[in-house]
Amino acid sequence: MFERRLWRNFDWLLLINVLAIVGISLIIIASTTINATSDPLFYVKRQAVRFAVGFFLMLIIVSIDYTYFYRFAPYIYLANVALLLLVLFAGKDSGGAQRWIDLKVFELQPSEFAKLGIIISLARHLAAQEGNFESFFSSLPAFLHVAVPMVLIFKQPDLGTSLVFIVILFGMLFMAGANFKHLLTYIFIGIVVGFPLLWFNMKDYQRMRLFIFLDPYKDPLNDGYQIIQSLIAVGSGGIHGKGLFAQGTQNYLGFLLEQHTDFIFSAFAEGTGFVGSVILLVLFMFLILRIIRIASQAKDSFGMLVCIGVATMMTFHVLVNVGMTIGIMPVTGMPLPFMSYGGSSLLMNMMAIGVVLNIGMRRQKLMF
Amino acid sequence: MTKSLQKRLRFFVLAVLIVTMLLTARLAWLQIYQYEYYVAKAENNRLRELPITAARGEIRDRNGEVLAKNRPGFAVSLLDLEKAYKDEVIALLSEILAVSPEEIKSKIATQQYKSFAPIRIADDVSTEIVAKVAEHQTELPGVIIETTPVRIYPGQTLAAHVLGYVGTIQADQYQKWGKEKGYRISDIVGQTGIELAFEEYLRGKDGAEVVETNHYGQRVRELGTVPPVSGNNLTLTLDARLQRIVEKALADIIVGLQEGGNSQAGKGAVVAIDPNSGAIRAMASYPAYNPNTFNQDYLQLMSDSDLPLINKAIAGAYPIGSTFKMIVGTAGLEEGFISPTTRFVCVGRKVYFRGEPPRGCHGGAVHGASNVVRALQVSCNNFFFELGKIMGIDTIIEYAEDFGLGKPTGLRDVPGEVKGTLLRREEGKPWYPGNVLTAAIGQGHAITPLQLANYGAILANKGTHYRPYLVQTITSPEGKTIFSAEPEVLNKMDVSETTWQTIHEGLKAVTEPGGTGSSLRTLPVKVAAKTGSAQASQDDSILPHSLFLGFAPADNPEIALAVIVEHGGLGYQAAVPLAKQILAEYYAEDNVEINE
Repeated sequence: MFERRLWRNFDWLLLINVLAIVGISLIIIASTTINATSDPLFYVKRQAVRFAVGFFLMLIIVSIDYTYFYRFAPYIYLANVALLLLVLFAGKDSGGAQRWIDLKVFELQPSEFAKLGIIISLARHLAAQEGNFESFFSSLPAFLHVAVPMVLIFKQPDLGTSLVFIVILFGMLFMAGANFKHLLTYIFIGIVVGFPLLWFNMKDYQRMRLFIFLDPYKDPLNDGYQIIQSLIAVGSGGIHGKGLFAQGTQNYLGFLLEQHTDFIFSAFAEGTGFVGSVILLVLFMFLILRIIRIASQAKDSFGMLVCIGVATMMTFHVLVNVGMTIGIMPVTGMPLPFMSYGGSSLLMNMMAIGVVLNIGMRRQKLMF
Repeated sequence: MTKSLQKRLRFFVLAVLIVTMLLTARLAWLQIYQYEYYVAKAENNRLRELPITAARGEIRDRNGEVLAKNRPGFAVSLLDLEKAYKDEVIALLSEILAVSPEEIKSKIATQQYKSFAPIRIADDVSTEIVAKVAEHQTELPGVIIETTPVRIYPGQTLAAHVLGYVGTIQADQYQKWGKEKGYRISDIVGQTGIELAFEEYLRGKDGAEVVETNHYGQRVRELGTVPPVSGNNLTLTLDARLQRIVEKALADIIVGLQEGGNSQAGKGAVVAIDPNSGAIRAMASYPAYNPNTFNQDYLQLMSDSDLPLINKAIAGAYPIGSTFKMIVGTAGLEEGFISPTTRFVCVGRKVYFRGEPPRGCHGGAVHGASNVVRALQVSCNNFFFELGKIMGIDTIIEYAEDFGLGKPTGLRDVPGEVKGTLLRREEGKPWYPGNVLTAAIGQGHAITPLQLANYGAILANKGTHYRPYLVQTITSPEGKTIFSAEPEVLNKMDVSETTWQTIHEGLKAVTEPGGTGSSLRTLPVKVAAKTGSAQASQDDSILPHSLFLGFAPADNPEIALAVIVEHGGLGYQAAVPLAKQILAEYYAEDNVEINE
């Protein structure tokens, strides 16, 4: 199973890249939560344990030939849908949304894992289509495939995550060879028909959140507050930043909220400035480009599409999360991969990296 | 790998690069281009300049007894408007402070545009409230507890009308002083009395403290402090011991009158001046108020028909009555209309001008022939009718003005002195020949108790009108003298010694057997005095005002005393016993001290 040729193809750079981001994450979490609990390292320890679990899961995934995932894709899909149904009926209510299943030692957020699950099952579905996208409606099954989990997540309600599915779908359709003009038409129809549909199914706070980023001072006390404080944190970081651990006043004086979860980038940018922010963005860019490189080398379209799905997901997460903290994207509650404090997201991303590494390791079609 | 796939992958890579560049560009905009703007915002978020209210200067009597000082108190203020103006915060605050949310909102509304300083919601709150606010700090972002000095008056009502009181700066005061003198909208300033007149001396210089606050508005650490500088201390000319005696006697007499069935009595005033300098030793107005509880009592005080907020000693104008007669006597002697031995005969009621009703002495008394000394002693109206008639009104008024009547005495240390009126010939007003008679016995004029005391002082010191004053010295908090009052002569009368001696003789005779103030003869000190019963109305059912004017010791005056008891009846019924009680207690204790 662990043959030498497999290790030869192991993408160490990708793993190092991930480790670098996780390392930064742990430092920032420590810096933002040092005064939050009696144990200054409480959050860091928890996140480190999750990382260890994630790393272990990654290793397991790496060791299983990914063609098994292809084979089990329908079950993965069904299992994810089942979990999402479960969370909808038996989930833990938190802040008006039901997103978690309480496993006592761990609060499972099925929508996070659904991202990877749907990427795998959709990749099998699209690979089976073998680039046959002549008809305008040839993508319809793919849409329906994604629609089921997406609607379940939207009902939680979790607008941001459900939007991730659409973006992943389009990214994968594009790389699966769907007609470019058709894709543009879908987007157009989506905006004209889908958006109003979405709008009337949204809760008030979601609507508010969707547009408040355009003018956060319209509601500086509530929805706009986080955006304003985040902009102040990022902007006042300047070129070199204020330093970590109680140097960033926005962070340690508590003006930033959720500074170790969704808004961790604000605290990071305040502490490390433009230099640090760009380094982190470049790390993400390398990570994603590395995944695309593996996609380009994959031995089959299933592997390629899975990698593309993962790359799309991460790109979108980075864009929306960082964009949110710097006021160019709505506040949707999407975590920053490997950075935000939280178990499900980290585990899922580690697993996704495992799958990608797996595909990269098994790229040669011809054995000698 | 197909060519199309290659192309699409390249497109994908491009998308990732664009996303990275877009985010980088935005970061550059925020962190490099707009850096200064956001740094300022972040500083603004965390740094607060909290004013430290300076203590007002203390006010003491001439012997150092504290009349007004400060104690530490707590105030509840709002710091961070953006957060503090949330409804939940106001609702909770309203519950804790027991004031309506509307009141809090109106305070915010009136203050927020005028100053960046904390908005004062409640002054001098209890420690229970302080504890409650602290307990709910996380639910009350932007709410802070300020320590502020609270003005207290240890003597309660003692010298209340002289001291005045303090209160939150009024809208018109803020308009007038706010910008120029750097007042804040929640500042406590003098509203009347010494507190108002010496506001600029008493007021200290506020300090400031720069603190770092977290998003609850709680202070995290202190970054720097500019200590406040207390205001200057005042030493008044008042003698707290005398003031206390005066206030007690005034209350005793008036309450005694009321208990004795005089339902008209209820108001009065006493002023004591040092005739050698113009220093006011006591000034009392009845009823008084307690400046410590002024705010709580305000509505009641405002609706009281006895006007306890008015300092009647300077703002109340009363007919002067018989105490005016020394003016007519002095004028007659000095202008040569009479000599000390000139006699007029009093035969009872008499018609002085044809067509007028007859006039006479009080109660139809017949005094027979009197010189000026006896006329003063028995307060013979007919003597002064005769003298007034030959002298004419203009001479009377000229002398009245020399004695400081009909114009302000010149007291500047407290605001609100009225100048009173004299019954003088004025163009456009009908003048009756009989008016000169009315004027000669002190009717038709209106004088303040201060004017009366000042007039007494001029009599006592034989013609010098010193400016009456209340503030003796002003010292800085370090003890440096900033101001020290010197007696200021406003007018010196050119009157012969003989005239003064004659008048003094008359006044001394008043407190001897047969005089109207003979009850004062038992005092341990010889008093020169004149009583008065000033007709308050044509209506006989309205009791006259009871007046007393005197100085003691008669031969070496150190105090000039004026007493007015509104509707107290005749002079001997209220004003004389009042003056007697004051002088008895004042000199009795003096003797005790000497004996020790």
